[in-house]
Amino acid sequence: MEAGRSPNIEILSNADLLGLEGKPGDFTAKLRLRPRYIDADKCTACGLCTKYCPKHLTDSYNEGLDITRPIHIDYPQAVPATYFIDPSACMHIQHGTCKICVPVCRSRAIDFSQKPTEREISVGAVIVAPGFGRVPDEALEKYSYGKHPDVVTSLEFERLLNPSGPFQGEVRCLSDKRHPRKIAFIQCVGSRDLGCDNGYCSSVCCMYAIKEAMVAKEHDPDCEITIYYMDLRTQGKDFDAARTRAEEQFGIRFVRSRVAEVVDWGENGLKLTYSTLDGGHHFEQFDMVVLSVGLDAPADAKKIADMTGIELNSFDFASTSTFAPLETTVKGITVAGAFQGPKDIPESVTQSSAAAALASGLIKAQRNKGIVVKDYPEEVDIADEEPRIGVFVCHCGINIGGVVDVPGVDQSVEGMEGVVYHTDSLYSCSQDAQEVLKEKIREYKLNRVVIAACSPRTHEPLFQETLRDAGLNRCLIEMVNIRDQCSWVHANEPDAATEKSKDLVRMGVAKARLLKPLPEQTVPVTKSALVIGGGIAGMTAALSLAEQGFSSVIVERNAKLGGHLLDTRYTITGGNTADLLKDVTARVKKNKLVTVLTGSELVNTSGFVGNFTSVVKSGSGKKAREQTIDHGVVIVATGARPHAPEKVLGRKLPASKKIITQLELEQRLAGRAKNRAPGSVVMIQCAGSRGDDLNYCSKSCCIDAVKNALKIKEINPDSQVVILYRDLRTYGFAEEYYRKARELGVIFVPYSLADPPRLGATSRKVEVTYDDPILGEEVTIAPDLVVLSVGMVPEGTEELSQMLKIPVNADKFFLEAHVKLRPVEMPVSGVYLCGLAHSPKPLDEIIVQAQAAAAKAAMPLVKGEVAVEPIVSHVNEDACIGCSLCASLCPYQAIEMIKVDKKRKARTIVASCKACGICASHCPTFAISMGGFTNDQIQAQIDAFGAVDDAGAKE
Amino acid sequence: MAKKSAKREGAVMVLGGGVAGVQAALDLTELGFYVYLVEKSAAIGGAMAQLDKTFPTNDCSL
Amino acid sequence: MSQEYNPKILGFLCNWCCYAAADAAGVSRFQYPPNLRTVRVMCTGRIDPLFVLKGFAAGAAGVFGGG
Repeated sequence: MEAGRSPNIEILSNADLLGLEGKPGDFTAKLRLRPRYIDADKCTACGLCTKYCPKHLTDSYNEGLDITRPIHIDYPQAVPATYFIDPSACMHIQHGTCKICVPVCRSRAIDFSQKPTEREISVGAVIVAPGFGRVPDEALEKYSYGKHPDVVTSLEFERLLNPSGPFQGEVRCLSDKRHPRKIAFIQCVGSRDLGCDNGYCSSVCCMYAIKEAMVAKEHDPDCEITIYYMDLRTQGKDFDAARTRAEEQFGIRFVRSRVAEVVDWGENGLKLTYSTLDGGHHFEQFDMVVLSVGLDAPADAKKIADMTGIELNSFDFASTSTFAPLETTVKGITVAGAFQGPKDIPESVTQSSAAAALASGLIKAQRNKGIVVKDYPEEVDIADEEPRIGVFVCHCGINIGGVVDVPGVDQSVEGMEGVVYHTDSLYSCSQDAQEVLKEKIREYKLNRVVIAACSPRTHEPLFQETLRDAGLNRCLIEMVNIRDQCSWVHANEPDAATEKSKDLVRMGVAKARLLKPLPEQTVPVTKSALVIGGGIAGMTAALSLAEQGFSSVIVERNAKLGGHLLDTRYTITGGNTADLLKDVTARVKKNKLVTVLTGSELVNTSGFVGNFTSVVKSGSGKKAREQTIDHGVVIVATGARPHAPEKVLGRKLPASKKIITQLELEQRLAGRAKNRAPGSVVMIQCAGSRGDDLNYCSKSCCIDAVKNALKIKEINPDSQVVILYRDLRTYGFAEEYYRKARELGVIFVPYSLADPPRLGATSRKVEVTYDDPILGEEVTIAPDLVVLSVGMVPEGTEELSQMLKIPVNADKFFLEAHVKLRPVEMPVSGVYLCGLAHSPKPLDEIIVQAQAAAAKAAMPLVKGEVAVEPIVSHVNEDACIGCSLCASLCPYQAIEMIKVDKKRKARTIVASCKACGICASHCPTFAISMGGFTNDQIQAQIDAFGAVDDAGAKE
Repeated sequence: MAKKSAKREGAVMVLGGGVAGVQAALDLTELGFYVYLVEKSAAIGGAMAQLDKTFPTNDCSL
Repeated sequence: MSQEYNPKILGFLCNWCCYAAADAAGVSRFQYPPNLRTVRVMCTGRIDPLFVLKGFAAGAAGVFGGG
């Protein structure tokens, strides 16, 4: 977690908010800091105190499945990496006895005299992100939770699956430590449950249950897993594909049912009783039952509301609106994450970025006034020094040390050329290990560092930062991967893994000898954005950038701004989308920082982050004209359109005026026609989606269907509305409307793909035939209207994908850089993504995503320059013969041919270079060197690879 | 310490040190603001630090 | 042990795909034979044919390029 390393994030842990006063731009927060009883500056996180502490305490980090001590740290990579004493369990704090830890601590960090302190901080804006709480225990009781040890919650099961969990990642029954043969997952525990006042859907449980089930299957392929569900709500991007994989590849069984109870069945384990839709009651034996618990409002929601003045909704989550999803009822306070409504990690991350954009817009005048610019000591010039290498071999707890003989690997470097220091450490990545690293660099005047630990892909930046802190150029480090690519994959061959580690370390040391410091380079940034697409996403992003002080150009293909929103009328919460559109369009047109080019298309884009140049064509025919726009970033918001299915429910769609789409129905219902809400309507969900023309779920159609059904009932209460669905995905608070629709008499009938409804049409009437699982027979009705929920398809993404070199997924939606942690960034730096072009989603999520994209896009604009990785290629002009082979081979157009003294020479465009090295490997005169991967360095690695065999030391 | 007494401009308070709070804090620093990350427990990370793997990349969640 | 055929393979792995995949294999705890010794490169395009020859000269039983 890099937050621990930023000089501009002050982590106030063990802290409670006592009050908040002031106005936007000028708040004062009062905090109470509870004591840790351990001096954070002195604690080295050695763990000795935990070993000596005599009292046991159930480990809440391991969901109570393990025991720890009152003095402990939750997990080794915790930030801050300081131990703390749980005052509620400590014998000294409670009873004035013990104090055994005080003399044990060698760094004298334990300080029982610490008292709670109060502190006031002044802030311009507040983001509330307290996460979620636990569902009440009563919701779990009927499943024997707390009575039988083998009934666990999904979070507990998560800990069981985890290598750092109570059984080191093995799934075992807590009752007798046996491996469970049969595991059941029960969905909707504490969600969609009026019994515990949680009428909403927690949105994440279906997907995490499937994930946990698949991981459990990987651990033990013979284990049989059944998931009992009501509706499988895998509405997220590419989630349905995972569900299919779980069923087909992993053999996980899905049963649509309601579970009545789980009871102790003596030697048989557990007895699970459930009822199915046809009214049948069944029971089955299981060894372990996992309760997919929902996300409740955070326990201190009311307290937070009292302190900050924000309002809560009826479930104690923060109250917000569809059109401003993150703004609380107090200006200047925004909300992000699960407190805004239950949601998964990518959506939380997106909201966080969006909340940052809102705060950034609110107090843009204060930007850069409060930050600390990190000073690095001046770099030591090592050009004339002989290599002095320090080797640090990491145990990574037991991750490496449990397989590889770490002290042996450490010893193997003794006497190697250039190695002046070597040691092993428990966790090289911990904060205190960084301090040790710095200290040793100074003490032994190290000028090269080899870290044998995990992957440079994840941890090299951290160590590079430490090197800079110690006054070394950050390129003077070589990481050797003895975890991900050694101990983890050779867990059963410790000797061979140790041997491999020694070889890899020797190769790493050989390379390290030749490492050279490389200069930091930066490129200036054009401080404006190009927004492709003028729908609600593009407009919201442009406005957010403008609020933050940056200009943008919106390129819209159509003559009018608005995109898909032009066709919609209202939201399920009752919002008028036409009003929203009018308001946003007016703000866009009025804003001096936003330029709108309608009837325009992008012709091409070249350049790189900070320095893009695009050609935009406006108008058509003779009036067409082209203009060139310079911009620093790109926001892709090209949207999507409703799908026009040819195949519905496995059959060709018959032509009839009585068959319309949800969107057409919405327009009709919003109109004034007398018979706009006819007497009988059948809605068919997933028409053309999830297996017909389209493979994916369009996420918003179920909500739209319920929305329109409610509207019909509002206009014509006697209308009979039947919704044929596969899984009704009214996730989050939309579940409330699903319940309301049922109360109003809307009939919901599930169907399966194996036996889908049939749609027939003649010139005068339409007929729908479907199996009614409750009646147990086939029903044919001839409604006045058949409404298809058709899903959304992306528009023109393939073209743009080629132009901007950004990827699309199998369904032709753009693919983000990292689905979890970088949900609005594209793999190409400086290109960001939002709206329906990312994936289908409801309006509130689009708005949030657009704000998030604006936050990310503003980052290079705020900085004013982009840093270039120093490992880019470099052309030695003396050796270059100007053949231009490299320029023609470079996949990134990052080499230009220039004239130097009338001779052709190649030159790297550093901001475009991705350091792939194709140029270097093809250069006939070896004129191109790659920073950090020079010919010499790689050849030294190869030589070191063979070194032991040559010496005959092996065998 | 100076920063305790001085009234700081350009700061944002983020309440909650889970994945949402941490991400907001990181983004705010990138946008040029100082962040107070207020967490009620002893360490930041929230629920995500407890997860084993995350779908679909199965990355270690830390 | 010395009688067993235990070849050493030298691998050049692309940072973005094969090296990443090898990391992912580790995260998923896939087990595979411990004969490979790897050199990370930023792209398989970096692999000069010379590296392959050098690898064999250094005693590799096989050279693997993963990208």
